[in-house]
Amino acid sequence: MKTAAQQPKFYQTMKFRRNLKHSIILFFLIAGSIALLTPLWWMISMSLKSPEEIAQFPPTFIPEKFHFSNYIEAWSTGPFTRWALNSVFLAVVGTIGSVFVNSLVAYGFAKLKFKGRNFWFVVVLATMLLPGFVTMVPQYMLFSKLGWINTYLPLLVPSFLGSAFFIFLLRQFMMTIPNEFIEAAVMDGAGHLKIWWHIMLPLTKPALITVAIFAFNGSWNDLLGPLLYLNEEHLYTIQLGLQTFKGSVQTQWNYLMAMSVMILLPTVLIFFLFQKFFIEGSNISSGTKG
Amino acid sequence: MKKKKTLSLLLSLIMLFSLILAGCSGQNSSGSAEDSGGKVTLKFWSFWGSETRRPVIEKMIDDYNKSQDKVVVKHTFVPWGDIWTKNLAAVAAGNPADVVVTDINDVSHRAKNNQSTDLSQYFDDNMKDRFYPHLWETVLYDGKPYAAPFNTDTRLLYYNKKAFKEAGLDPNKPPTTWKELEEYAKKLDVKKGSTYERIGFYPLWGGYGAPSWMRNADEGKNFLEGNKIAIDTPAKADALSWLADWKKRYGKKTIEKWDAEFANGQTNPFVAEKVAMYTDTGTFYTQIRDSGKDLDFGVAPIPAYKEGGRNWSDGGGFVLEVPKGSKHPKEAADFIKYMTDVKAQKYWAEKNYDNVANKEAAESAAKGMDGQEKMVYQASIDNLKDTQLAPIPIQYPDFMSRINPQIDAVMLGKAKAKDALKKAEADVKKIKRK
Repeated sequence: MKTAAQQPKFYQTMKFRRNLKHSIILFFLIAGSIALLTPLWWMISMSLKSPEEIAQFPPTFIPEKFHFSNYIEAWSTGPFTRWALNSVFLAVVGTIGSVFVNSLVAYGFAKLKFKGRNFWFVVVLATMLLPGFVTMVPQYMLFSKLGWINTYLPLLVPSFLGSAFFIFLLRQFMMTIPNEFIEAAVMDGAGHLKIWWHIMLPLTKPALITVAIFAFNGSWNDLLGPLLYLNEEHLYTIQLGLQTFKGSVQTQWNYLMAMSVMILLPTVLIFFLFQKFFIEGSNISSGTKG
Repeated sequence: MKKKKTLSLLLSLIMLFSLILAGCSGQNSSGSAEDSGGKVTLKFWSFWGSETRRPVIEKMIDDYNKSQDKVVVKHTFVPWGDIWTKNLAAVAAGNPADVVVTDINDVSHRAKNNQSTDLSQYFDDNMKDRFYPHLWETVLYDGKPYAAPFNTDTRLLYYNKKAFKEAGLDPNKPPTTWKELEEYAKKLDVKKGSTYERIGFYPLWGGYGAPSWMRNADEGKNFLEGNKIAIDTPAKADALSWLADWKKRYGKKTIEKWDAEFANGQTNPFVAEKVAMYTDTGTFYTQIRDSGKDLDFGVAPIPAYKEGGRNWSDGGGFVLEVPKGSKHPKEAADFIKYMTDVKAQKYWAEKNYDNVANKEAAESAAKGMDGQEKMVYQASIDNLKDTQLAPIPIQYPDFMSRINPQIDAVMLGKAKAKDALKKAEADVKKIKRK
């Protein structure tokens, strides 16, 4: 018969240790989630308050009365439907450009051997070093000379001309795809465009979706581009529209927050729909191994 | 093979699409053209796009368009804070608007850098008489107007009359000097144990910052008058240590806690009745009104440094300017004249409860008001005679970046006011531009 002393104490059992470990991890995860979700909740909560309640002190965390009408009222203060459609158009066309053009360039850098490949790759990467504010005015003057001001061209054409970050991301992903696939296709008589289209695109789907999400969000959230290049309000995007709630004297917090929630929805939705690919795709070292 | 064809077709379509877009755009983006009726179209950029301001500015534009048959003004909303960036880029590219709303304090900078148009040939000699003098002086560069003042503001002392009565103070006698301000604040403080439930007054909350108090003490002298330096002066040093004393009295912890609570800008401590006296502009009244509270309050000029001194206050404002490169400066100037004349300015003042640059319009707007609304508006107009702007000096555009760290050091108790200002003055001298 075993004595009590021989039996492991409850805190010495494997089960307890495992549970303890899990609890600690869970605790930190929950604490982290709360920290990240609080601002979001604050935004939603503000979007449902009346202006009087927003001015109240101490502030209320949950609205006393839910003003869902803020959403409709905010939307109807300006041509937001038009602005939203403009944003969708720019984001969708820009995303298509980013996905196809960058992957084609990346394919070249990843799988083709040509003279000066590494040099040109470094040149492409070097464009990332220039902050946007440095290139802003020269770029504006260039587009102005081309007569592109007050059109969508300055916002769309660059998406079709490659972006260093996306090229880098896709190239790293493509490097992990075995060359045998390509060699086999060459044996079968396929050209590079065909290889890119039939082999590379399907195999790099996670990375492409990552690029698509980045490109979509980038265009959707862009304020400076539309601000500089568009001079007519019917061409404006929803991000510019959002600024109508912020003024020199007063800010309409409830409307601003309601509209912010609505603007956030597409990006959140897209992220959740594709998050599996997104995590896989941002890992530039994985590729087909993952 | 079929797939390859589809692919190349897709690519060529994309290219074609870009080319077509490029082709279409060329024609209609070449600046302000004349419209079909032979009228000149003026592009007007403002940041007044809110639900409340947009209808007002657009009605004024509409009235102007109807008042004559040569010019059509087209208004575009450009977001607040970003309009300056857009204007500069557009001027640099030679494709600006014809009239923009910009900050009054850097008019001379844009004039000097050839970013705006000299309007002296379009304005007659009487033009200056319609504006408050301190505003008109600020739009001059080399004696010539490069803009016309549109609206302005000024800081007042708001005080809670109910709190005054509770503290045994006469609600019709607001403090007039700094000394009184201190005495009143002590009486208005409500303390429970070691925490404050109400703070009588803290000079750095509200619209009147440390530089403003320092100027108030120094007979209204700016840190730089033109390009003459007046940073390290006894009065400014005294004001700065006075500010540090306030912080000491309430305690660093109290101030930091309250700062954090009200930092979001959504809740105002005066409207929430947590602070009994508070500095802000005349338009702050709309925030009190819209809070839905029936706040019993009064307004007074900013207290003077010493008895018999002037109640110096601070203001800012916006101007209408013609960017360099506008193709219709004459028409633009005509539109500006209309927008700064009595009728348009009065409309703006009434509808937005805002201080306007046109003297006659301001007085006339006040006459039509009543109650608290009139009390605050009239006080804000009267206050303009003691109000100063803070034009950014040409040779020291960045001077505040050398003064602010020194002010912070004093407020944190790390330096004495006298030494800090001496250092600030030396630092500012180093950044002089030719």
